[in-house]
Amino acid sequence: MNSLPEQEPGQPGQEPGKEPGPGRRSFLRGMAGGVAGGVVAGGVAGGLAGHAYRGATADPAVAANAAIVTGRLPAVPFHGKYQAGILPAPSRATAVVSFDATAANRAELADLLQTVTDRARFLTAGGTPPPVGIDGPPSDSGVLGPTVVPDGLTVTFGVGSTLFDDRYGLAAVRPAHLTPMTSFPNDDLDPAQCGGDLILQLSAGNADTVIHALRDIAKNTRGGLQVNWRIDGFSSPARPTGTVPRNLLGFMDGIANPPVKSAAEMNSLVWVDSSTSGEPSWAAGGSYFVVRLIRMFVEFWDRVDIEEQETMIGRRRGTGFPLDGTSLYATPNYANDPTGDVIPLTAHMRLANPRTPQSAPSQILRRAYNYDRGIDQVGDLDMGLIFTCFQQDIGRQFAAVQTRLVDEPLIDYISPFGGGYFLALPGVTGPSDYYGRAMLA
Amino acid sequence: MGTRRLRVAAQSAAVGAALAASLTACSSGGGQPSNVITVSSAECGGAWSVPGPGWHTIQISNQGTGGAEIDLVNPANGAVYAEIENTGPGTVNPINIDFGSGQYALLCLFSDDSPLPGSTVTVAGHAAGTPAVLPVTYNDLIPIAKTYAAKEEAAITVMAAETATLAAAVRGGNLATARRDWLTAHLQYETLGDAYDAFGDFDDEIDGRADPVGVTSPRWTGFFRLEYGLWHGQSLASLVPVASALNRYVDQLVTWWPTQEVPLADLGRRAHEVIENALEFQLTGHDDYGSGTTLASTLAAISASRVLLGLLHPLLAPRYPGLPSVYSGLNRLQSLLEKERLANGWWVPVSALPGATRQAIDAACGQVLQELAPIASITEPRNTASEFSA
Repeated sequence: MNSLPEQEPGQPGQEPGKEPGPGRRSFLRGMAGGVAGGVVAGGVAGGLAGHAYRGATADPAVAANAAIVTGRLPAVPFHGKYQAGILPAPSRATAVVSFDATAANRAELADLLQTVTDRARFLTAGGTPPPVGIDGPPSDSGVLGPTVVPDGLTVTFGVGSTLFDDRYGLAAVRPAHLTPMTSFPNDDLDPAQCGGDLILQLSAGNADTVIHALRDIAKNTRGGLQVNWRIDGFSSPARPTGTVPRNLLGFMDGIANPPVKSAAEMNSLVWVDSSTSGEPSWAAGGSYFVVRLIRMFVEFWDRVDIEEQETMIGRRRGTGFPLDGTSLYATPNYANDPTGDVIPLTAHMRLANPRTPQSAPSQILRRAYNYDRGIDQVGDLDMGLIFTCFQQDIGRQFAAVQTRLVDEPLIDYISPFGGGYFLALPGVTGPSDYYGRAMLA
Repeated sequence: MGTRRLRVAAQSAAVGAALAASLTACSSGGGQPSNVITVSSAECGGAWSVPGPGWHTIQISNQGTGGAEIDLVNPANGAVYAEIENTGPGTVNPINIDFGSGQYALLCLFSDDSPLPGSTVTVAGHAAGTPAVLPVTYNDLIPIAKTYAAKEEAAITVMAAETATLAAAVRGGNLATARRDWLTAHLQYETLGDAYDAFGDFDDEIDGRADPVGVTSPRWTGFFRLEYGLWHGQSLASLVPVASALNRYVDQLVTWWPTQEVPLADLGRRAHEVIENALEFQLTGHDDYGSGTTLASTLAAISASRVLLGLLHPLLAPRYPGLPSVYSGLNRLQSLLEKERLANGWWVPVSALPGATRQAIDAACGQVLQELAPIASITEPRNTASEFSA
């Protein structure tokens, strides 16, 4: 049985009786929903298996896809030093939801974060929602049937810079590198789809699981959170089998990522480390979480010949091989191609990751999903990418990469229109812990 | 045109067959799959063959020391059936086409070498296959680029006079005059066809959108900034610096432009891309900062595309059966747009178009874009070989 390096053993399945009583949540209605643990045994067995499924192979993008295609996934352990949704490869279904906090004060904010924690703990483990008699509507939406299945659900929860204003007395403990998202030169940002006090990403094997989780969390936090913007996404099966899921430009996405099994790489690239970077101690084990909503002009893209497409990206569309390579994971040899005869100097992948010692610290953990949501003003399909990435320092990593990409040839076919900078909180370490406890301490 | 659509459909239907098809290659050493043809700067594929007409995939193995473009051509006239650009040394890349009866040869274009033709392969019978397109050469495009640059230079000079008039109107304090002069100068700019950053940083300074910085930023300059002010109640006095700066940038462009060379591959791309930009920014209403004239800007883009198509026409006419559809499509779109010109010289904003009208315009634009799409590839400059070995 494998598990992710640096991940605490985890405690899948809940302990009945440890669930805090609903009475504590004075302003948050609906807290009666869900005594987790109805499926303790299944949660334990399935949880570890699920963890192995989604994160523990050398090539998680491939393994996760194969597993997800086959059916509903077991539970991913919720408790741990790090949030469980950060390292695994993309799930089939996701929702990214930005909230503004409407909690009236610090105590209400603490209540709110405990509620989100409790709901996430239940939803990721699965179980039977408590019955309700005639004293109210059902405690659960029923979208997943009488018993809530875990389906590999992960909940990734983070905070935005605006939470650290004067409302909750958090200004002094603001993460060192947390700022509003930069507007880069090729951006066309819609303020209504940017930023937010809090960010929630729900990912699972199926869209119904994601929707169920979102409705559950939302109904239990009505007074304390208002949705700011949201977007649903999906990751495709790898086609052909054994490769990497494709984005809606038809190219495989996220082939070259740092190895999530390497604790050393994750410690230097993904996890916030308070001992070296001037971060507040509570942020250790968190990870900066960048979300970029990127429209793809797929009609235009489909009118571009394949050679131009491939030289813009730097890979073959069919195989995913780098233009100079003979396998999917081959490392492009830019030193042998200094003038870009094979992989142009302006190719997306070459600018994003030049593979030099100087560029190595700017690597990000890229986790992209596709989105598809209707049409635009001229009747063209509104689809694109929910680009997300995790890193230790946004300036050193995402912003450096994005700066190298300014005015790349690909920009004619894409348009970043939303997103934000967040810090994914440190993991919830056990039944008595909750999201942001150390931040509020 | 009809024939082109049929060909595309046939390609899609035959992909499975193509992947399954195999081909006999005699050139390479043992141990390689039978359909692998080895190329290097010393020998372009050696002897190879196909079993007969039909869909075949050949794998081109670059055993040279550098990057190469490999073309599959008709040795009789150099027409290109297929190409693989940017093949790295040591890589293997497929070419799959419908081999018709006739003659085929590889043409190897290694980065630092002269074009190296391969031996001729004859496919027997009387079957039609994937058509070849005569390559457009650098020499074909160089005079076109020069003519285009000269036309642009003349148009930029006209625009400089118009932005000077505009700046004077803003200083003069008459809003109606300033708005009218703004439209004249801006449409002249839109007629230039600025896709692909032809004007470098000048494009941001002269016609930059507010997107990256916001409408209140002092870093926002140019036509759109001025439009925003003229149609949002900002005083003309406050806009004098904006109009003067715009005029100054255009004057700088007049000086800078003759020092630039138009990339040859951009000529065909731009004929297409200016209409893509019109769909994305004008017909969506994105670039309407108050004047409601994005339909006029779309007409200007059509003019820009027509200039390029006119120059490229002698190259396109014998190579692109769909060219008449390009012209008829542009005519159709243009006539739909011209109906929206108001009697007073202004335009119906896209946001005010009735739904059916807007759909008709969007559909016409989308269709002509489909017809324009092959032009960039057909007019991309290609190296050719003067002779082929038997």
